[in-house]
Amino acid sequence: MASVDLCIHCNLPIPPSDLVVDEIDGRELHFCCHGCQGVYRIIRSAGLNSFYQRRDWSEQGVPAGVYDATFNETVLEGHVTKRSEILAEISLVIEGIRCSSCVWLLEKLLGRHAGVIDVRINYGTHRALIRFNPQEISPIQIFSAVRRLGYLPHPFTFGAVQDAAVREQRSLLIRFGTAAFLSMQLMGFSFALYGGYFHGIDPGIRQTIQYLAAAVTTPVVFYSGWIFFTGAWRSLKNRTPSMDLLISLGVITAYGYSLYALFFGGEVYFETAAMIITLILLGRLFENSARNRALSSIDKLLRLAPDSANRIVDEEILVVASSSLTPGDVILVRPGERIPVDCRILDGETELDESTITGEPLPVLRRPGDGLAAGTLNLTASLKLTVERVAAESFIARMARMVEEAQNNKAPIQFLADRVATFFVPCVALIAAGTWLFWFFRAVPHTDALLNAVSVLIVACPCALGLATPTAVLVATGNAAARGILFRGGDVLERTAHIDLIAFDKTGTLTLGKPSIEQIIPAPGRSAKDLLLLASQIESGSNHPIALSILARARAEGIKTGAAGAVEAVPGRGLRMTGISGEVLIGSRAFLTNNGVTVPPVASGSLTEVYLSLAGDWYGALLIHDPLREEARQAVTRLQQAGLTTVLLTGDRAEAAQQISDKLAIAETRSNQSPADKAAWIDRQRQAGHKVLMVGDGINDAPALSSADVGCAMAGGTDIALETSDLVLTRPNLERLHEAIYIARKALQFIKQNLFWAFTYNLITIPLAASGKLAPVWAAVAMATSSVLVVGNSLRLGRQIRRTFPVAKGQTTD
Amino acid sequence: MIQSIIILIVLSLCIGTGAWLFFIWAVKRGDFDDVEGPKYRMLDDSDDGEQEDQRREQ
Repeated sequence: MASVDLCIHCNLPIPPSDLVVDEIDGRELHFCCHGCQGVYRIIRSAGLNSFYQRRDWSEQGVPAGVYDATFNETVLEGHVTKRSEILAEISLVIEGIRCSSCVWLLEKLLGRHAGVIDVRINYGTHRALIRFNPQEISPIQIFSAVRRLGYLPHPFTFGAVQDAAVREQRSLLIRFGTAAFLSMQLMGFSFALYGGYFHGIDPGIRQTIQYLAAAVTTPVVFYSGWIFFTGAWRSLKNRTPSMDLLISLGVITAYGYSLYALFFGGEVYFETAAMIITLILLGRLFENSARNRALSSIDKLLRLAPDSANRIVDEEILVVASSSLTPGDVILVRPGERIPVDCRILDGETELDESTITGEPLPVLRRPGDGLAAGTLNLTASLKLTVERVAAESFIARMARMVEEAQNNKAPIQFLADRVATFFVPCVALIAAGTWLFWFFRAVPHTDALLNAVSVLIVACPCALGLATPTAVLVATGNAAARGILFRGGDVLERTAHIDLIAFDKTGTLTLGKPSIEQIIPAPGRSAKDLLLLASQIESGSNHPIALSILARARAEGIKTGAAGAVEAVPGRGLRMTGISGEVLIGSRAFLTNNGVTVPPVASGSLTEVYLSLAGDWYGALLIHDPLREEARQAVTRLQQAGLTTVLLTGDRAEAAQQISDKLAIAETRSNQSPADKAAWIDRQRQAGHKVLMVGDGINDAPALSSADVGCAMAGGTDIALETSDLVLTRPNLERLHEAIYIARKALQFIKQNLFWAFTYNLITIPLAASGKLAPVWAAVAMATSSVLVVGNSLRLGRQIRRTFPVAKGQTTD
Repeated sequence: MIQSIIILIVLSLCIGTGAWLFFIWAVKRGDFDDVEGPKYRMLDDSDDGEQEDQRREQ
């Protein structure tokens, strides 16, 4: 077994200088390196000796059955996110999805398993999000269910998605290249045969050329066309007819008939079979690259976070993979490096470029205790950080996942195409059979009857129908994402297109949300400093813009901030803290008055008032000014020009609110609104038939955001914005709102166009083919054209969006 | 006549196969993996480009 010059493990020749000799079980064994020796020892010690007897060196790639071994319960468990005792989620990448029917099939059949709650598959990315009850079904059972249907599941990691995408794109390209090359040769032969048909040809030469044509067609059918056959077989096995089945039927009929004609005389139609495959592969190739383009915008988000990190263990620095970091680990990030995972500063003070996440172009100062998001750039100093979340849960990873989930949510209009596709196929098979029977009994040559039936099969391929909605949605959401507009799904896209009323929140939405304290008015007998100290104590845990302004002012005055008791938030009203010296309240005048505090009048003008009380006594007031966003005026005007009614909903006083709406020419103003009031008002508008878009800061507008048709959170960088809104603007810029509505309206328009084209096309061509007016080759050309037309139309949507709203390179503000 | 046709056909098949093998080699090398990116690369800011290079090296 072990020859002298071959390594016993890897079977490669051993360079004499590298020879490693080991003695195992009394036998002297030769290895080419210590690595092989180590592996050999591991394999032996695991009792897997038979590996060396059984292994087969001619076998290519990964041996069959390997997936069963690696995807054991414990590995998969690591990819499961538990929501509750009876609800868990797992993300998979599924290889082998060819068309929207595959998606339909997987969703339908997986959904039938006991314990599977919800299956959503993104045709664009081939990702499946499966919600299931872990007490009824295990992830491994889900895996084997997917495999039984004939698809190959992988647990999801971003590396796996890219690998699979690249592999699929390459294999598709090679299949297409091969088919195109052979079809070109075939065209030459067919040309000769057609010439011979009209002008006469020597039977010997004719026969030779026919054999050559058969020779070049066979690999096209069985290699390039193989993916259609497997798809067709899968659909037959699962009794859900798909487009692959139609294509396979057409190809096999044309090829089989030509073989018959080759041996028993007659005209051959090899070029039909080859051209169908070549052209459809071309369509798939286009479709694939459109999909990859949409994927790349998500990819860009994720690439921001570096793959490796410097972990500090016992004073030593180890370079580890970012994905291996767990909460509590301490890492070092040097200036010029990006933050690998979501962290909190342990030691060090730096300026941080957060533009990738907030769009804010100026660096911000970060101090110990501040949280940092993965993907942001450390500019000035080395930092010691404690890891807060694992890489997969970091802000950008969640954002990327959200974008993808968004593409999973189908627009209602898409279900139409899905339903049509599944009912369409048997219909077409019937029409084809009918065509054949009709022409067969009309006693025209039998070949014509068959060719007409083949034409029907080919021309009916409803690819265009299946492509109409997903491509437009992908292009629209992808282009929107590049502009910092994230639609959480095709359904949101469609709802956004129908919006006719926009309600704005004030603080942080129309205003910058970076208020500053203009005036401190302490109650008689109190000092300004004490007032600020008390205010900063109660607000220290809050992220509200007003709280931040108070904290900033306190820091500037050298007051040490920090909570001095349990703080309870009353959303939209204020905060309550139970401290040593009694109950402290901070908030609006109404909030204090309702709690029995007597507040004297304060001359505030248009400024926002914040009141404080200690143990039931008024302690003072802070007057806060929050400047309007620069672009607010123009954005509101544009929205009004787009035919939308604008409304201001705010918890602030009537004077302050009115002043803002006068400046911006907002039609209607409703002030002194609690979050519940806002939600109720929106509900009333919806009952009155309006489609409402609510724009808020996402922090205390959650009820209003969720009761609106579309909720849009402006505070792009906060977690809450991600959780509560349908439409997220990652860059807090009101102009994006107009862009979002434009994109949504355009997308819907293009979807309707696409569906119209696809339907009309099939309505016209099927009767043509059935009546024998369309030769199979032309049917194939027409079919591919319709797919290309629909995809091209969707790409045109992208161009139109880009032309109307150009994205400047490195754009951060405007 | 028939011989010359057959020779020509075989010759064209050989040349075609050569082109086909060249194509397969290019695909396997990854030349077609990103057909969109390269045309924008010259427009990229220089430090972006460097990062791209570093990423490739890793």
